[in-house]
Amino acid sequence: MTAEPSETHSNSPPGKAPLYEASTQFKSWRYSPKRLRHVRQTLNAAAVAAIRKTLEADEPGSSTSVSFLQPDDELLLVKLYTTKIPQLCGHFRFPEEVEATAISYLKRFYLKNTVMDWHPKNVMLTALFLATKTTNNPISLDSYTSNIPKTSQSDVLDLEFLVAQSLNFEFAVWHAHRALWGLWLDLQSLPDVTESLRPLEVYETALKHVRVSRFTDAELIYAPSQIALAALSLVSPFLCQKWLDSKMPSDPIAAESHRQILEQTNSEIENMIMQHGQPPDVEAAREVDRRLKLCKNPEKVVGSKAYLTRRAEEERRAEEKRNKKAQDIRKTSEGEDPFGSQLAGSQESQSVDDDDDD
Amino acid sequence: MDAVERANAEKQKRWVKDQKVGEGTYAVVYRGREAATGRRVAIKKIKIGQFKDGLDMSAIREVKYLRELHHQNVIGLLDVFSSKTNLNLVLEFLDSDLEMIIKDRSLVFLPADIKSWMAMTIRGLEFCHRNFILHRDLKPNNLLVASDGQLKIADFGLARDFADPGYKMTSQVITRWYRPPELLFGCRYYSSAVDIWSVGCIFAELMLRTPYLPGETDMDQLRTIFRALGTPTEEEWPGYTKLPDYIPVGQFPKTPLRDLFTAASGDALNLLSRCLIYEPRRRITAIEALHHPYFTGLPYPTHPSKLPRPASRASRPLEEVDGNVDMVDSGPGVKAVASNRLKRKLSSPMDGVRPLARRLDFTQHKGS
Ligand SMILES: Nc1ncnc2c1ncn2[C@@H]1O[C@H](COP(=O)(O)OP(=O)(O)OP(=O)(O)O)[C@@H](O)[C@H]1O
Ligand SMILES: [Mg+2]
Repeated sequence: MTAEPSETHSNSPPGKAPLYEASTQFKSWRYSPKRLRHVRQTLNAAAVAAIRKTLEADEPGSSTSVSFLQPDDELLLVKLYTTKIPQLCGHFRFPEEVEATAISYLKRFYLKNTVMDWHPKNVMLTALFLATKTTNNPISLDSYTSNIPKTSQSDVLDLEFLVAQSLNFEFAVWHAHRALWGLWLDLQSLPDVTESLRPLEVYETALKHVRVSRFTDAELIYAPSQIALAALSLVSPFLCQKWLDSKMPSDPIAAESHRQILEQTNSEIENMIMQHGQPPDVEAAREVDRRLKLCKNPEKVVGSKAYLTRRAEEERRAEEKRNKKAQDIRKTSEGEDPFGSQLAGSQESQSVDDDDDD
Repeated sequence: MDAVERANAEKQKRWVKDQKVGEGTYAVVYRGREAATGRRVAIKKIKIGQFKDGLDMSAIREVKYLRELHHQNVIGLLDVFSSKTNLNLVLEFLDSDLEMIIKDRSLVFLPADIKSWMAMTIRGLEFCHRNFILHRDLKPNNLLVASDGQLKIADFGLARDFADPGYKMTSQVITRWYRPPELLFGCRYYSSAVDIWSVGCIFAELMLRTPYLPGETDMDQLRTIFRALGTPTEEEWPGYTKLPDYIPVGQFPKTPLRDLFTAASGDALNLLSRCLIYEPRRRITAIEALHHPYFTGLPYPTHPSKLPRPASRASRPLEEVDGNVDMVDSGPGVKAVASNRLKRKLSSPMDGVRPLARRLDFTQHKGS
């Protein structure tokens, strides 16, 4: 979705509806840094506990030697796969919106799931495929997978539902690169910012910073317009200032307090971009991946004993449900109405057809 | 573990599916209710197992946009959950749609009723456009009506954002009778004006009680439009002969709208004509339409709860009997299609069929 600064900003002028603030992104996907850490720690701890239990059930004592992933290890691996998205998008020549959306999906997914359950490689491929569709740039699954080495259609499709569900079916994403574009347009309409004061390189470099910010947690903490403004400020504090001046309330006291808040946010985001924007150390990520092979949830490994146990349990429950349904139907058709067998029969077949699969 | 699955299971338990009420191209719709409160809902079940490319685009669009849009005149999506390979959308239950209402010959429309439906349609549409969302399939059958009379725009399976102005889009959208000429000429760069054309066609249909521009093929659609509104001149619509699929379909003169819409007020005709301007950039926008004198002038729009409504979805007759209609003397502009054109004898507001409409407050929902 578009996000022009005047609309995304929390200090949006009165009368103009703050669309961004009504979005699912604003409502469901914004965290404080502390909350973010807490979510990741909780997910990680729950996963470790559950996997430990499964391993012990399979073979007592077997979990003691396992070195489970820590939240930071998980984050590192997710980040590695985040950086692969731009490469793939370049290969397919997908628009920037697909890339940015896929990255948001991947990050959001791991705020609901852990790496020990679902390896980020396939989740990344699925998130990207889903993003092509949600941004209205669909390609066929066949041409998608046949252009990615060692990838089958089921690698992508099997996880699609899980990914969509983890996103809570909230597909719309507001992006900082759009906000930056809106900001740039705003600057062009300022009378005292002449063309020579705003060379295109400024925009281009700021856009690079926005792209780097995608490898950080910035979008989970700040509004797209805040990230865009910080990116601009990194390149040209002067233009950033000009833009702020044009948006400030006329009341000097209110303006001063706004300015302080904005400057604080700006420097936080700038720090993130400068310190956490680099791709992760591949060797370190590889090491995490090696450990992951030993501690991933066996229930999710197709063919393992734990997986089969779990499947059998699911199958048993489904069977029970089917039996109950059939019984209910029999009851209805043996019901009181002495003339109703024909009618009951047709109702029966309809309700069976309608509800075959849930 | 599997917090995601658990959350889904909980959502699933919240809703109870009852009997089937309808079937669309990609979904089956059930009547349902909220387990805890008994609130009525519609559950739209989309089978996704059948799509080789995974989640289907229509379902994705519908979910994507309805998740974001919350407005009194846009259908409410209450929840989304999955059951095995199905996607279930829990929607507000809506008793009828504008097509049923238009076709129900036992209902009499007052000008104030039409104004009320139009106001609700345009308010909902203005909200979509304000959010940079094009609906691209507006027609009476996609304007659903709640039991309290509120009209809700539904069916976002073709919707998309129009954030990027210079972005190529498919011209294969909008049901033919409601499709604007720029799309029929294959225009790939279009805007919210496409929805406004559809709104114009719906407005006309509310007055005529029969589709206004019912073309039989895409070609015939253009001919039907030009026959009704006159072939556009270069001045009226600069450059249209250069559009990708342009073909000449003949010269037709302009006839005043008044010839066909004999009972309509001047304001109504003015708004209608501005929705049906050929040059998309000159067509009225949703926000402008809301401020049009048609809406601010008398008669005030009927309060939604006082609008005519059909008996119910279930008891709707299969083929309506034409009572209150006669063949139109259509004038030169529409004569060639007069065979299936019927004109409604508009009853005057003074007929006193129903108590006088209460005023609908226009300022009330604007910001929502
Ligand atoms: N919210 C709702 N409340 C009550 N009934 C509904 C609701 N939504 C849909 N229906 C019923 O279900 C039917 C199917 O709806 P759906 O939107 O899937 O398809 P459609 O609009 O009829 O066709 P298409 O898929 O071609 O647009 C509708 O015609 C209507 O009778
Ligand atoms: Mg429909």
